[in-house]
Amino acid sequence: MISRSQRVIFWCLVWFCIVILSVPTIIVVGASLTGGNIITFPPDGFSLKWYRQIALARDLQQAFSRSIIVSLICLAVSLPVGTLAGIALTRFRLRFANAIQIYLLLPFTIPLIGSGIGMMLVFGSWHILGNIWPVGVALAVINLPFIIWSVSSSAAALDSDLELAAASCGAGRFETFLHVTLPGVMPGVITGGLLMFVLAMTEFLVSLLLTDARTVTLPVQIYNNIRSIITPDLAAVSSVFVLIALLAVWLLDRLVGLEIFLKSK
Amino acid sequence: MNRNITRRGILRTGMATGGAALLTPFAASRIFAQEPEKPAEIIVRAWGGDWVAALKAGVSDRFTEETGIAVRHDLTEDNEIQPKIWAAVAQGRIPPIHVNWDTTTNASKSALRGVTEDLSDLANLSNTTDLAKPIGLDGYPIVNTYGYVYVLAYRPEAFPDGAPKSWRDLLDPRLKRRIALYNDGIGFHFPAQVAGGGSLEDIPGNMDACWEFIREIKNQQPLLGEDPDFTAWFQNGEIDAACTISTNALAAKKNGIDLAWTVPEEGCKFDTDGMWIPQGLPENELYWAKQYINMALSKESQQIWLDGLGLPGVVPDLTPPEGLENDPSYPTKPEDFEDLIRISSKIQIENESEWFAKFKEIMQG
Amino acid sequence: MPRDSEDRSFRYPLKWRIMDGLNAALDLLWPRRLGRYTGWALLTPALLLVGILVLGLFQIAENSLHTLDTSTFLPGEEYTLANYRIIAESPTYWRIVWRSLLGAGLTVFFTLLLALPYSYIMVRTNKAALRKTLLIVLFLPFFIGQVVRAYGILIVMGSSGAVNDALGLVGIEPIRLLFNFPAVVFGLVQYMLPFAVLMLAPALTAIPRETETAASSLGANWVKVFRHVILPMAKPGLVGAALVVGTLSLTDFAMPAMLGGGSQDFIANAIYDQFFRTADQGLGSALALLLVALGSVIAGVVIAFFGAGTLGMRGRK
Repeated sequence: MISRSQRVIFWCLVWFCIVILSVPTIIVVGASLTGGNIITFPPDGFSLKWYRQIALARDLQQAFSRSIIVSLICLAVSLPVGTLAGIALTRFRLRFANAIQIYLLLPFTIPLIGSGIGMMLVFGSWHILGNIWPVGVALAVINLPFIIWSVSSSAAALDSDLELAAASCGAGRFETFLHVTLPGVMPGVITGGLLMFVLAMTEFLVSLLLTDARTVTLPVQIYNNIRSIITPDLAAVSSVFVLIALLAVWLLDRLVGLEIFLKSK
Repeated sequence: MNRNITRRGILRTGMATGGAALLTPFAASRIFAQEPEKPAEIIVRAWGGDWVAALKAGVSDRFTEETGIAVRHDLTEDNEIQPKIWAAVAQGRIPPIHVNWDTTTNASKSALRGVTEDLSDLANLSNTTDLAKPIGLDGYPIVNTYGYVYVLAYRPEAFPDGAPKSWRDLLDPRLKRRIALYNDGIGFHFPAQVAGGGSLEDIPGNMDACWEFIREIKNQQPLLGEDPDFTAWFQNGEIDAACTISTNALAAKKNGIDLAWTVPEEGCKFDTDGMWIPQGLPENELYWAKQYINMALSKESQQIWLDGLGLPGVVPDLTPPEGLENDPSYPTKPEDFEDLIRISSKIQIENESEWFAKFKEIMQG
Repeated sequence: MPRDSEDRSFRYPLKWRIMDGLNAALDLLWPRRLGRYTGWALLTPALLLVGILVLGLFQIAENSLHTLDTSTFLPGEEYTLANYRIIAESPTYWRIVWRSLLGAGLTVFFTLLLALPYSYIMVRTNKAALRKTLLIVLFLPFFIGQVVRAYGILIVMGSSGAVNDALGLVGIEPIRLLFNFPAVVFGLVQYMLPFAVLMLAPALTAIPRETETAASSLGANWVKVFRHVILPMAKPGLVGAALVVGTLSLTDFAMPAMLGGGSQDFIANAIYDQFFRTADQGLGSALALLLVALGSVIAGVVIAFFGAGTLGMRGRK
């Protein structure tokens, strides 16, 4: 039973969270509907002219499709790598565990500028800069801890007796992995995968250093535009993102159920 | 970037530009018989918003019209493209851009580092004023394309008694938390040296007066930002006055914000922007990149481009944009320069990091 | 699946045969006697991928040992520790390091303080609609990206923004809410909150509801239940969330840049300035290495004392 004081305190904090999480989003969506030439809230008259503008902007659309490709590559790299690593960290006893942990946290402890410059130099010496796929790989690297973490939190909750049981029933190692371990960590894989995709769609600093005018992605384009002058078309672009987000969340809910993010087994 | 990509880029853009080129294949090949092979496109780094719009209208579109070569604009910041180019040259790769539109200070750093191509054989250089020649560098590793002033921009409603006459007016208590400077102090050091009671001749040897004045300004808790921040802050009513390039004030004014600017009695910093070509381009692309900069120095291009920016160019007898004739932010005649402070870019780039560190030290306190 | 033996020849289903093939291939490639190295084998791709960053770190470490020659803007030839000396002797950098640490610490504290009740209510509620709403509210900001979100905050909390308008209704003069240290921390908390909730929620789900009921039926009030039951059992989630939020905010660049008004730099901003503004890559590299060392040491201490939490390692048993 939740007591009254607990309910009051918790709900106050939760409402505060809801407000600070949603208000900037609402402001940005609202500002995109302005009839004026600058981002303001409340908007200066109602108009869809900025949406018309971005619908006609070919460079934004190309940048958007490049971002999708980059995010898919990021997903293709990070899903298997992160899943295996997450399983390895939880299901196997490894030596130097703490050192590995700190090593795998490097993507978070290295500032993004450092990662960006470093990878620019490394990819440059490999002569692969100028392609789109290294950007996807780079984004997989800098966000890798997210997917490792979400897989390992699912894997930790998985009873290892299940795997033993499968093995003693004659299942091969591959079957055990495919039918027992993998379904067990699936919630973590889905959460992590979604995070990786979304973060790749919105990362700008590392991408900036690894793209050029022919491979520029949407967040880099937005960032560069913000650096010059901020016009409501950027709010419109962001609102399109929100719409896509709503669609994705709805789709996810229909397909697997949103509750999957809360599950640990 | 490698050959592969370049070729793919050609295929992609070839769809757009190929049509026009196909119409006159014979004429073109005869006229340009001695010219190197044309790339499908060249990439020019530019600042976004009004800046790139002006460049496109004045230079890029004319270039495409005349040569059939498409121009793609890379909107990466000048500061941020710099390490990318340096790394490309150091690693022997083809640089990510053909032409860099850059501040003279940043461009000079690249010139000193030896990553720029020599531009002294551009035909239109003969028709330029002294402003085009970079100071403190041999020859033309870069070329200046126009000048600009770091004015004192202000909202007239916050100054009912008229324009501020001195930079010291910023110390007025009612302007506390209502003023803004660049976050590295650029544009403000030299007027601050004068406002603090020092002399410009003492730069860089003795800048105590400058630091003393900046300490006084620090007590006003100024906001510190970059070009877009000034426009945004004026628009959102966060500040009443700022030391910024006149173009930013002009941009905010175009968006309907009531703004004015002035050159106070201590003077304002005058500086230039320029263009340069990174080393490592294939011969033919280098040739066409040079043609692009050459066009940027033509009178016709300068007129259109700089009308968009509201800035004075480097060829004589340009017509000032409407409303900017005799404006302090649009100096053309020698007497216009009397109130402006111009320090050689050599002194600037050699001492810049030190000034910057000192400014940060005061402001981050 | 029933055995498929209708004809003379006895055949396993295709799926079985593929499975057997794969198992055989696995036995061939990775014999069972290598079993104790299996963990390492699974981990190798991740180690290699992060290895790209380590290669970059080597380059950065190299850079940090050369000073910039401002007459040629090339790094000097000789190896020197001068860049590290500059940092050590500069009160400005010490102040910036301290500010980053304090900022990251406060962000972790406030983020967890908010994320805990949010995840708790989301996990414990019986209303599916409420749970979904809370999840959607959590996910949407992810899609907008940090810069645009910060811009949203700039508009709402600006001098003529909605918050000041609301304060004006109750007779409070407009105040400057932005461009100071609390504004940066606020921005970071707003940015990190979804990460923290997503990490905490699974840990809270794993705590059986009955445990709480049992504790309260034994007379513990909710504060005690929380302190002695929920917090200890959610520790892996809390530690994991703290590590992620702490390291990410320690190295953050955008929030101090946009909401700090230029005078609230974190280390990442100082690194940015050296790399991009004064072109002193040596000094920038030295700062970057310092930040990596700082972050790794703190993460190491946390892991040594509290374990890695949900970030992995032999799950709770």
